[in-house]
Amino acid sequence: MKKVLLLLSMVVLMPSCAGLLADQATTPSLIDQAEAARKEADALGYEWRDTAKLIKSAKEALEKGLQAESDKLASQALLQSRVAAAQGKYMSKNWKMMILKY
Amino acid sequence: MKKTIQRRLFTGVLVLMTTMLSGPAYAVNYQALVDVDVRKFQNYFHKEFPQVKLEDFSSGVYALDEDARKQWMEIEEFPPYELDIEAGKALFNKPFANGKSLASCFPNGGAVRGLYPYFDEKRGQVITLEMAINECRVANGEKPFPGKKGDLARVSAYIAFISRGQKIDVKVRSAAAYKAYMKGKEFFYAKRGQLNMSCSGCHMEYAGRRLRAETMSPALGHTTHFPVFRSKWGDLGTLHRRYAGCNENIGSKPFDEQSEEYRNLEYFQTIMSNGLKFNGPAARK
Repeated sequence: MKKVLLLLSMVVLMPSCAGLLADQATTPSLIDQAEAARKEADALGYEWRDTAKLIKSAKEALEKGLQAESDKLASQALLQSRVAAAQGKYMSKNWKMMILKY
Repeated sequence: MKKTIQRRLFTGVLVLMTTMLSGPAYAVNYQALVDVDVRKFQNYFHKEFPQVKLEDFSSGVYALDEDARKQWMEIEEFPPYELDIEAGKALFNKPFANGKSLASCFPNGGAVRGLYPYFDEKRGQVITLEMAINECRVANGEKPFPGKKGDLARVSAYIAFISRGQKIDVKVRSAAAYKAYMKGKEFFYAKRGQLNMSCSGCHMEYAGRRLRAETMSPALGHTTHFPVFRSKWGDLGTLHRRYAGCNENIGSKPFDEQSEEYRNLEYFQTIMSNGLKFNGPAARK
C-alpha cells in the first residue's frame, strides 16, 4: 500500500517539479541569449545604451526569484541587442547612403 | 539630374587629374579625395546659411542665432573657464618627479593646438592633443590624467588658449590615414542608438533648427573651440566628453574617451573644418 501511495505521489508531483526546472532552465538561457546578442552588437560598435543595464536587472530579478520580471527584462535586452546588431550590419554596408546629397 | 551628373563627372575628372599629376603612376592622392569632401561639406553650410561667413562657424551655434550670440559674447567677457586656464598653465609647467614637465614634450611653448589631431604614420593611428598630453606624462613616469574633464581638460584648455588663431590644416597623406579618415566619416554619417540618429542628422540636416529649447549647432566648426565649459556640466570637458554625451542622448552606448572610434571621428570632423581657426576654450550652454 505504501509503495502504491509513494508511486502515486511521484506521478502527481513530477510534472510540477519538471515545470519548475524547465522555468529555471529557460530564464538563464534567455539572459544568456541576450548577453550573446549584446556582445555581437558591441563588437559591431552599435550596442545601445540601456541593454547591459537591462541584462543586469534581469539577473538581479532572477536572484530574487522574480522570474516573470526577469524574463520580461531579458526579452527586452534580447530584442534591443538583435535590433542593434541589425542596425550595425545595415549601417556598415549602407552608411554612404546617409550622406546628404548636396 | 543633368547638373548632378555633370558635377560628379567634373569631380571625378578633377580627382583623376590631381592623382595623375601628383606622383608615380597608380599612386592615389588621398588629400585630393579629402579636399573634394571638404569643399562639398563646407558648401552645404554656405548654402544653408548664406549669411554666415566661413570663419564665423568657429563660434558654433552662436554663428546662427544673433540673440544667443549677444548673450554668449557677454559671458565670454568674464569667461567661466578663466581659472581653468590658470590651473592648466600651472599643470603644464609643474615639474614631474624626473624634473621634466609637460612643457618639455611640446614645442613652441605649448602653442601646439594647430598640430592636432594628426595621423601618426609610424604608429598607424590618429593622435589627439589630449592623447599626447597623457602620453607625455606616462613617458616621464607619471600617471595619465583620468577621464575627459578635470586636469586633462585644464591643460588642453591652456594649450588651446595660447594657440588661438592657429589655422586648421589637417592632412591625409597615406592609405592608412585615409582609412582612419573614412572610419571617422562613417561614424559621422551612420545612424546608431535606440533613436536611430547620426551626427550628420542633427548637425547637418537639422543644424539651426530647434530641438526643444535649443538650437542645433552646425557640424562645421565643431572641433575648433574645445575644450568647452558647459553650463550644463558646470565645468570644463573635452571634445570626447561631448561625443559621449551625444551618444548617450541618442540611446547609444558611448565609447571610451580617446578610443579609436572617437579619435577617428575627431580627425574627420577637424578636417571638415580645414581653413577655420582654433578659438578654444569656449563657453557653451
